[in-house]
Amino acid sequence: MIATALTTVVLAVLAIGAALAVWQSRRWLAGRPAAVGVVAGLRALPGRYLVDVHHVVGRTPFNARFHALVAGGFLAALALLVAMGVAFGGSRALWLLLAVVLAVMLAGALMVRYRRRVLRPRELSQGRFARLPLSLLGFSGCLLLVALDQALGGVMPEALALVLVAAAGVALSDLVWGVWKGPLKHAVHGALHLAFHPRPARFHDGAGRDTGLKPLPLAPADETEPGTLGVERPVDFAWNRLLGFDACVQCGRCETACPAYAAGLPLNPKKLVQDLVAAMDGQASDAAYAGNPHPGRGVGKAHGGAALPLVGYDAMIHPDTLWSCTTCRACVQECPMMIEHVDAVVDLRRFQTLELGATPGKAAVMLEELRATDNPGGRALTRRWDWAADLSLPRLAAGGSCDMLLWVGDGAFDLRVQRSLRALVVLLRRAGVDFAVLGEEELDCGDVARRLGDEATFQSLATRNVATLNARRLNRIVTADPHALHTLRNEYPAFGGSWTVVHHTALLLDLITAGALTVTKPVGRSVTFHDPCYLGRYNGEIEAPRALLDAIGVERREMLRAGLRSSCCGGGGGAPLTDVSGERRIPDVRMEHARETGASLVAVACPNCALMLEGVVGPRPEVAEIAELVLAATETTR
Amino acid sequence: MSSPAEALLKPLQIKHLTIRNRVMSTSHAPGYGSEGKPKERYQLYHEEKAKGGIGLTMFGGSSSVAVDSPAAPWNQISVADDSVIPFFREFSDRVHRHGAALMIQLTHMGRRTRWDTENWLPTVSASAAREPAHRNTPKEMEDFDFTRIIAGYAAAARRCKEGGLDGFELSAAHGHLIDQFWSPSANRRTDKYGGSLENRMRFGIEVFEAIRAEVGDDYVIGMRMSGDELIDDGLSHEDCIAIARTYAERGLIDFVNVLGGQARDHLAHAISLPNMSFPVAPFLHLASGIKREAGIPVFHAQRVTDLATAARAVEEGHVDMVAMTRAHIADPHLVRKLMEGRLDDVRQCVGAGYCIDRIYVGGDALCIQNAATGRERSMPHVIPKAERKRRVVVVGGGPGGLEAARVCAERGHSVVLLERNAAPGGQIGIAAKATWREAMSGITRWLSQQVTKLGVDVRLGVEADRATVEAESPDVVILATGGRPNRGDFKGADLAVSTWDILTGAVEPTGTVLMYDGTGQHHGASCAEFMAKRGALVEIATPDRMVAEEVGTTNQPIHLRELYKLNVVMTTNHQLVEIYPEGNRRVAVLRNEYTHEEEERLVDQIVVELGTLPNDGLYFDLKDLSLNRGETDLDSLIAGRPQPVQANGHGGYTLHRIGDAVAGRNIHAAIYDAARLCKDI
Ligand SMILES: Cc1cc2nc3c(=O)[nH]c(=O)nc-3n(C[C@H](O)[C@H](O)[C@H](O)COP(=O)(O)O)c2cc1C
Ligand code: SF4
Ligand code: SF4
Ligand code: SF4
Repeated sequence: MIATALTTVVLAVLAIGAALAVWQSRRWLAGRPAAVGVVAGLRALPGRYLVDVHHVVGRTPFNARFHALVAGGFLAALALLVAMGVAFGGSRALWLLLAVVLAVMLAGALMVRYRRRVLRPRELSQGRFARLPLSLLGFSGCLLLVALDQALGGVMPEALALVLVAAAGVALSDLVWGVWKGPLKHAVHGALHLAFHPRPARFHDGAGRDTGLKPLPLAPADETEPGTLGVERPVDFAWNRLLGFDACVQCGRCETACPAYAAGLPLNPKKLVQDLVAAMDGQASDAAYAGNPHPGRGVGKAHGGAALPLVGYDAMIHPDTLWSCTTCRACVQECPMMIEHVDAVVDLRRFQTLELGATPGKAAVMLEELRATDNPGGRALTRRWDWAADLSLPRLAAGGSCDMLLWVGDGAFDLRVQRSLRALVVLLRRAGVDFAVLGEEELDCGDVARRLGDEATFQSLATRNVATLNARRLNRIVTADPHALHTLRNEYPAFGGSWTVVHHTALLLDLITAGALTVTKPVGRSVTFHDPCYLGRYNGEIEAPRALLDAIGVERREMLRAGLRSSCCGGGGGAPLTDVSGERRIPDVRMEHARETGASLVAVACPNCALMLEGVVGPRPEVAEIAELVLAATETTR
Repeated sequence: MSSPAEALLKPLQIKHLTIRNRVMSTSHAPGYGSEGKPKERYQLYHEEKAKGGIGLTMFGGSSSVAVDSPAAPWNQISVADDSVIPFFREFSDRVHRHGAALMIQLTHMGRRTRWDTENWLPTVSASAAREPAHRNTPKEMEDFDFTRIIAGYAAAARRCKEGGLDGFELSAAHGHLIDQFWSPSANRRTDKYGGSLENRMRFGIEVFEAIRAEVGDDYVIGMRMSGDELIDDGLSHEDCIAIARTYAERGLIDFVNVLGGQARDHLAHAISLPNMSFPVAPFLHLASGIKREAGIPVFHAQRVTDLATAARAVEEGHVDMVAMTRAHIADPHLVRKLMEGRLDDVRQCVGAGYCIDRIYVGGDALCIQNAATGRERSMPHVIPKAERKRRVVVVGGGPGGLEAARVCAERGHSVVLLERNAAPGGQIGIAAKATWREAMSGITRWLSQQVTKLGVDVRLGVEADRATVEAESPDVVILATGGRPNRGDFKGADLAVSTWDILTGAVEPTGTVLMYDGTGQHHGASCAEFMAKRGALVEIATPDRMVAEEVGTTNQPIHLRELYKLNVVMTTNHQLVEIYPEGNRRVAVLRNEYTHEEEERLVDQIVVELGTLPNDGLYFDLKDLSLNRGETDLDSLIAGRPQPVQANGHGGYTLHRIGDAVAGRNIHAAIYDAARLCKDI
């Protein structure tokens, strides 16, 4: 009787849940088509969940534990309940088993409650999420009593048992209602998102990392239907992207990681995703959002809808929010639901830039210059080499070949960066490396244009750079600019160029290891290393720079945010050009992290980082590019 | 305007030669040559600029191409025979190693030299017209002189090329032989080399044709010339433009290095090397005028002392290369500092002209404020860190004390500087009060800024005594307490005031004033000028043969010009022997140095300048308490070794006295005393 009642309740609620999910799916299925391997995705799902998701969740062990207890207990309980009703009936052993899994779930639910009531992390959303512990406790607690009672043979008055079952049913329905809007929503959408993820290559069953932006077809496939470039309205996103947004569980990990948020710029990635989620509904507003807002902006003023423009002063997303992002990927790195925030940001920016010409401030000026002159400063391309006039760098002409090509990047126009490039050249010479440069034919790599949404300029630059490089035979390209490294290594292959691209930190480490450079004057200072986002998160290279620093004898100290979880200097994604103001400057925040280590020097490995961090005023650790430190440490005494 | 770096750090291509940026040093003759060769000292001096990032450094000002243009007596370079080639090779390797280009200036001085040196040959020129600066009347050149001298130019050109230099310029400026032909002021010939401008240009053209034939079309050859001789019977700006265009159009020259004025007499010479009395870049417009017409790269020097002005000159298209010649004497690393974004750290030339003034009295060029220039072998431009950190107390914030504090701080020591006055600078502060000498304060400004930046604990308004010094538990005490005016020991000396009293404003100059100058330095002349400008009727008297006799050739003419303009009476060859009062007024007794006859002057005020006597009270208070009893070991000092008696770390300190606190000398002496001692502490 009890078993049947229970199973009925569970099945009924689950059926409602399934119906809700199906109803829900209309929202995200409204998106643009996307090529997805459905079967392969579904097959990969359990593995992705157990490996990739847990890899992210496991970074906060307490959360991982309660999640395993609650979700595991809940799923097992549901399975047992359905099994009991449908096939096996209520054997005492099964009731006992059910009691065990419910106890597990109850333990997890208590942890959830402890977290929400006692720990109260700032990044958690309230609203519907505030009821979550109650529902979990209600479901697991009530049923646990029933299951224990049944296991002991049923001493409880039946009426009481039925009341408990009903209570559990209410709790369960609250949980399942969450499939619609609320905590449980993430389970269904998260699973589907894992299966139909727009970047399947990022999972362990793929390449394990997939960070390059995908080319945007600039000419419509069908002449009769011009379509828009980039994303204007929610429905302009591919459906599996919309699905991804729906998977957001509002855990706030992205918020905690976001450098723009930390500096009080009007961007909270969690809110951004929730803005997108809200916008999928007709006549939407952000009024129901119960987490931290975009800094400096209240909640409740934004309005939109599935077919309304997303970005605008009164729309769901304020332009300042969109242009605050540094594309650092810290949010993506942290998101347990594998949401791709940066792709969304760039999709939105593409529409703003390509269709509306609404790139803000200095960024628009820079793009103009870039289109006209192939470099962001609007200078003659020969001037990229001014700093090296006395170094007689060998130029690699079309048809020529060399082992290593040095890609200097746009930093070569900057006085500060010229110093580190000079150090690198001297080191390559000192180590007897045979290298050449492109000279005037090196164009801007297109990184900033692309992150600002100017896909047209990016593709023009990429195509021409690829043609230039393909007209030469070379074994590898070395660069000190992680942005160029990322673009050449990960984004140029789509345009027909693929080479081995190495960062100078890796090369210098090799040279020291191979004995081509000898450390004569160990640095002996306390140094903390700031990982460039485009080297670390984008390319996973966090070991070589550290090994290099160790090799030159620094006393290395780590910031709390380091390696793959490093925090951005504020220099990426065109952010220094869009220049949205916040409470602080992003580099000031990052310098604070460095200061906390007590190190006397911050080592950087990216021209942008050097410029951003060196721009921090007031007393602070010195900033040096790694090549400069290596140069000093390997000085030959003459 | 964009940053100076944007305009200046841009290569210049001349034929095959790439010059890495737009900053250069023009050829000058620092007197570092030895036996007519640029040996180690000379090379190190230019290597330092190359290390410091300069694009092009030109050495060997006025290097001679012929035996009747003597070089060795002034420690300059002779390119008149092949023995110089190996030195050129070594020199160019040394400079090229650091990425800079290296060129030389070749010349025949014509009448602008002396006949009574080296080879004792008569000087030659276009005509037998006396040259005022050297008081010398040359022989008028005849046919074989032309042949010989032109061949000499060509052979010298070949030696430059063989020596690996990146090019050279011929001097046709400052009144050398080629421009002696050009200038109607010196050329009175009636043959094909005189008369019309075309004829006057002929000799130079023949010279350039010969050297072109010798070194070929792809070698870089330039010409230094005036853009306007700025004298009545000289070349006008239009003449100069015509000359530049003619030479350029014929493919004879690849660049022209333009300056304003010429140097046949003392004032003209002073104008061609503008000192601090001139505005910045006073003759840039002349270079700019030639730039518009010549169609080849234009170089220019003359009091471009800061990088912002340099950048403007290039950015606005006035010139292609901007020379900062004395600016590099003051700071050979100025381009590097520009590249490193350390503009504040550039030690800017103040235009004191100490460097150039020394060479006209047979000395070597030294910078009034940078003791390392020209002494690269023994003195570092970048001070290395000491092995052991010491506690140093410096007493006195004049140039010596500031430099001592700066060098010690660069060494990594912990330094306290105690200065009695409310502002640092010592006597520089007094000197800078005198009209156009104001720029002297630049010396103090840089030193104080560096000292502050390096974290020296500067305590102003603190009179140091034994207790204050010892309270700091120093390892080393450096006394740079300076001097006080020497009031003289003649009868009635107490009735006179000092130049300090006047310049500091303690005594207001009134009525008729006798300025008695017993040193022949800047002090007396500038104080006289100061008083005359404030309305006093001034007579300046000196036992020397002329006023400001010790002041060099780029400064003395300016003093004299100003004193004449202000109607200051100049009485030379008279010694002040006595002062006595007459009512409120004073009578000065002046004795003629040659006849010993006495004259009297009844005046309202008598101001005397007799140099300084050391402030040594604190020194003698500390002397017997110190480990070394105040003795600086001179052999170690000169050899660049640490002092033999060192702080032992168990209490006690060594004591050193520097600058005018030892004996009254000058700013350079104080700074050199400080830097030489402190670099080894
Ligand atoms: C010590 C010294 C010696 C000089 N000798 C020469 C010389 O021999 N030939 C010459 O053309 N200029 C000579 N000059 C002048 C410099 O080349 C330059 O024109 C002058 O110093 C003005 O430029 P500045 O203000 O950048 O220093 C000399 C300058 C100095 C300071
Ligand atoms: S990419 Fe970086 S800046 Fe942009 S939302 Fe994510 S964490 Fe914030
Ligand atoms: S986007 Fe991802 S990290 Fe951010 S709140 Fe949502 S689930 Fe959490
Ligand atoms: S001595 Fe004077 S003029 Fe000469 S370089 Fe030094 S500061 Fe300049």
